[in-house]
Amino acid sequence: MVPRPEIAHWLTGAVCLLLGLVLFSEAVVGSAVFRRRTWRAYLWPSIALAGGVFLWVIVVFSTFSPMHLLAHAVWAQAAMVVGAVQLAVVRGKLASPLWSLVTAGALLASGVAFLVHEQNPWLFSRSAFLHHAIGWVVVAAAVFPLGHALRPERVVWRAGFALTFVVVAVLLFADRDFAPIFGRLSDAAVR
Amino acid sequence: MRRPLLAGAALATALVLPASASAHATLVAASPATQSRVDRVPDAVRLHFNEPVTATEGAIQVLARDGTVVSGPSVVAVDGRVVTAPVRGLRDGASYTVRWRVTGNDGHSPSGVFTFGVGVAAPPPTEATGARGTTWRDDVARWALFGALALLIGPLTMRLVVLRGGIPPALERRFHLVTTVAAFAVVDVGIVAFLVRAANALQLPFGDLLYGDLQPFAEKTRFGVAFLVMTVGFALVAALLSLAWVFDRTDLRRAALGLSIVLAAGLPLSGHQATEPNATVASELADWVHLVAACVWVGGLVTLALLVWPSAPTVRRAAFLGFSRLAVWLVAAMVLAGGYLALVRLPELSDLWSTDYGRLLLLKLSIASLALGWGGVHHLVVRPRLEAGGAPRVRPSLVGEASVAAAVLLAAAALTNAKPPQVEPVPPAAASSTR
Repeated sequence: MVPRPEIAHWLTGAVCLLLGLVLFSEAVVGSAVFRRRTWRAYLWPSIALAGGVFLWVIVVFSTFSPMHLLAHAVWAQAAMVVGAVQLAVVRGKLASPLWSLVTAGALLASGVAFLVHEQNPWLFSRSAFLHHAIGWVVVAAAVFPLGHALRPERVVWRAGFALTFVVVAVLLFADRDFAPIFGRLSDAAVR
Repeated sequence: MRRPLLAGAALATALVLPASASAHATLVAASPATQSRVDRVPDAVRLHFNEPVTATEGAIQVLARDGTVVSGPSVVAVDGRVVTAPVRGLRDGASYTVRWRVTGNDGHSPSGVFTFGVGVAAPPPTEATGARGTTWRDDVARWALFGALALLIGPLTMRLVVLRGGIPPALERRFHLVTTVAAFAVVDVGIVAFLVRAANALQLPFGDLLYGDLQPFAEKTRFGVAFLVMTVGFALVAALLSLAWVFDRTDLRRAALGLSIVLAAGLPLSGHQATEPNATVASELADWVHLVAACVWVGGLVTLALLVWPSAPTVRRAAFLGFSRLAVWLVAAMVLAGGYLALVRLPELSDLWSTDYGRLLLLKLSIASLALGWGGVHHLVVRPRLEAGGAPRVRPSLVGEASVAAAVLLAAAALTNAKPPQVEPVPPAAASSTR
């Protein structure tokens, strides 16, 4: 039987993959082509907002420890705020590219939450390795929306932002809460 | 060039290959079950975990109500997933507290507490032996929760009921901002309040509390279930309000207000008016009406004083007069529902000064009377002047009334967390509406 947390990880991975592919499509063909149909412009912010609401459902299943409860709450809130702000940007309610800083802050907070909620070192287990990897990837990815806020015309920021979600999706799909990493498992973990 | 590629491929292969899977060490079952009533005196307490754990002899402690330890040394079964502690001297008709702490394969040390009763109902985990009961932290958390609810429901009511027409864009943006932030605040403060309450029962140092098991609180108590439903529900309210702002959709705002009012019922349904022996559907309903009316009143006052007055001179008059009319009904609802609840909780008049609960209620009534008197002056003195076309300087007075109203919420928070005097259960004839 697949444990409940892993089902949640894989569902979240699926949402991240969808988000990443939508964003990457726009980065590849360019916004002018991608947004010829108006609804496409709303696609990724809507996925982020709906994903945030979905994450709250996972939050209430994370009552096995306050640490997990709080970390999931940070991710849920970050996704909702980013989704809402970007919907407003697409709609024209917010105009300045500096609103991308909200996305940068959300990524930073989410990455830190990943790193704080994993208290074991990198090679303790596969789960620990992946939590560290996702945490640092997400923290580092904050540079993409930051760059977009300052130099919105450069495609590299959009492409990097999109690929971040593809990478996070792969890492989430690979997550096992307790399994060896590179054939090795900490002595503490096999007591 | 080939080496990084190979390293990347190796990393991808190592991550993608299937591996044995299990979850973070969590308690999946217990015997006796958490918060259960058993008919026979058990000879041991057994905890089943989802993965192998290590445990010391003191991993399971079973405590009688007087704090006596009635359990022996804990042992881990062969597969490592079951920890057992023998118990002795348990009595029929008594309840017991189980405190446990193990170390999971991931190195974390989850711990938890639950209760069970032998021939009697198990008390909630918040009343476990060693639990501290509510503290000032609970009062502050509950106050913040009331405040966030008021800042959500009050401004929404003001915009949808009192100021139904067009308003200046700047004020509209403030309404959107305040209500959306308040919806998130309800969720966040709710989480803090839940953790504070669980921490009182778990009695763990902060580092260990981070891995304390919250499941008995979340799934086996009324306030836990209310917390879960309200968390998801108010997150949905935040999403609705965000969409209402982005797409200028009043219907989504109405849905958010309606959902918020319904979800506010989570507090009365998990409070004294639902759990005391003489609780009835009527007492739960009265508590809900009392809470919603108070939230609209306090939130509306704050909206009038801090949102409408400074940023929209053109709608001040309409807002004040409209809210003044609404406030009459709100005060009536608060007084009637509150009066009924006071009669239910304090059957003797002397309870008012002879019990802590009664004295707190007197304090709340005193502050509420001040606020209502202040509101009466606004209604009887300021409103006629505004109706006559005057422009009285009223904002400082509105801020003052709103501040006193916020103090009423603090007293209400302390009252909600206080233990009311013992009352007799509702007789069987009225049991159809009793829980």
